[in-house]
Amino acid sequence: MSIRCVVVTPERTELDREADFVALPMFDGELGVQRGRAPMIGRLGYGVLRLQTVSGPERYFVDGGFAQVEDDVVNVLTGRAIPVDLLDNDEATKTLAEALDMPSSTPEQAQIKDAAVRRARGQLRASR
Amino acid sequence: MANARALDKRRKSIRNIRKITRTMELIATARYKKAMDRAAAATAYTEQITKIVSRLADAGLDVQHPLLEQREKINTTRVLVLASNRGLCGGYNASILRTALPRIKSLRESIPNVIIDASGKRGVNGLKFRGIDTEQQFLQFEDQPAYDDVEKIAEGYLAEYITGKIDRLDVVYTKFISTSKQEAVIETLLPLGSLADESDSESAGSDDTNAEYEFLPSAESILEEVVPTSFKVKLFKCFLDAAVSEQVARMIAMKGATESAGDMIKQLSMTYNRARQSQITGEIMEIIGGVEALEG
Repeated sequence: MSIRCVVVTPERTELDREADFVALPMFDGELGVQRGRAPMIGRLGYGVLRLQTVSGPERYFVDGGFAQVEDDVVNVLTGRAIPVDLLDNDEATKTLAEALDMPSSTPEQAQIKDAAVRRARGQLRASR
Repeated sequence: MANARALDKRRKSIRNIRKITRTMELIATARYKKAMDRAAAATAYTEQITKIVSRLADAGLDVQHPLLEQREKINTTRVLVLASNRGLCGGYNASILRTALPRIKSLRESIPNVIIDASGKRGVNGLKFRGIDTEQQFLQFEDQPAYDDVEKIAEGYLAEYITGKIDRLDVVYTKFISTSKQEAVIETLLPLGSLADESDSESAGSDDTNAEYEFLPSAESILEEVVPTSFKVKLFKCFLDAAVSEQVARMIAMKGATESAGDMIKQLSMTYNRARQSQITGEIMEIIGGVEALEG
């Protein structure tokens, strides 16, 4: 009773394994996927992808992107997938400070800043 | 007849150079294979993106996004020229510059503000030599461009495009068609002409799974994210193609160099042997002449 989880980044296929349960960090909250889920396409936020595999839980930080579920296969498309252990807390704090310093005088700039802040916060949360 | 010693010296130096070009050829071959694998890995991602786009289209969503729309008045445009950091790769950089220059010239005539960015030392210097100053220089890209680096550049362009600082982005790069064919091309990446590659979209559209998809949080929200992502991936693909093409060009150039060094050594060996023979003959004649003179 398992589903296949494939994580693809533009550089390579980061991960391809069987899992009992996958928790996707969606744009608006976490979404758990088990075997037999109806097909869906979702937008990912900046957060932690959790896998419950036979060998134990695994956690990856994903940097936005999409998830597609079809026929018990979860395809995750993201710019970056980093194992949570490799994240650096100090660096994440610094990125967040930088993001908060960005200008936001026009709506477009505010939007860009907003995305940067959200990403930095996600990274910081994941690194703890 | 040339001096035998000088010929020998020259032959030796050519032999040394042949060693170098041969090694460079081998290195380029290895790097080409690696770069090729990376490019292949990237297609997995683009295929998935294309799939998602076709699903969105199937769901009856009207694909509209500011990044897809042609702007009426173009005030500022950017041209990104992708060349290599190193030379000794045949006509690779020359053909890039040859393609880029007429485009830059014609853009300068019609658009008031043209900003040029270049990647690779050869590109920067080549443009400078031709009297074109580059605003941004990217020198960090070797045979394996990292997505993180490309993403940063892409995000910079996206931010500039969205805030209206630029109205258009052209990329000049070498497209990898096959091992024996690479072509310098110009592509307009902003505004994005279409979301999917034309060749890919047909193959993706043909597989008909009738699954009803759920879109979370909504199809519009996904589209909002798909468009910038597909721009980033397209730009990344340009960098990958350029890297692969560079290695192929170097491989072929070095192969040619090694071969002609071999030919040259053959030619020189022949001349050298002839020179040595005639020198020996001359010496024997001198000895015989001396002996005959003593006897007589």
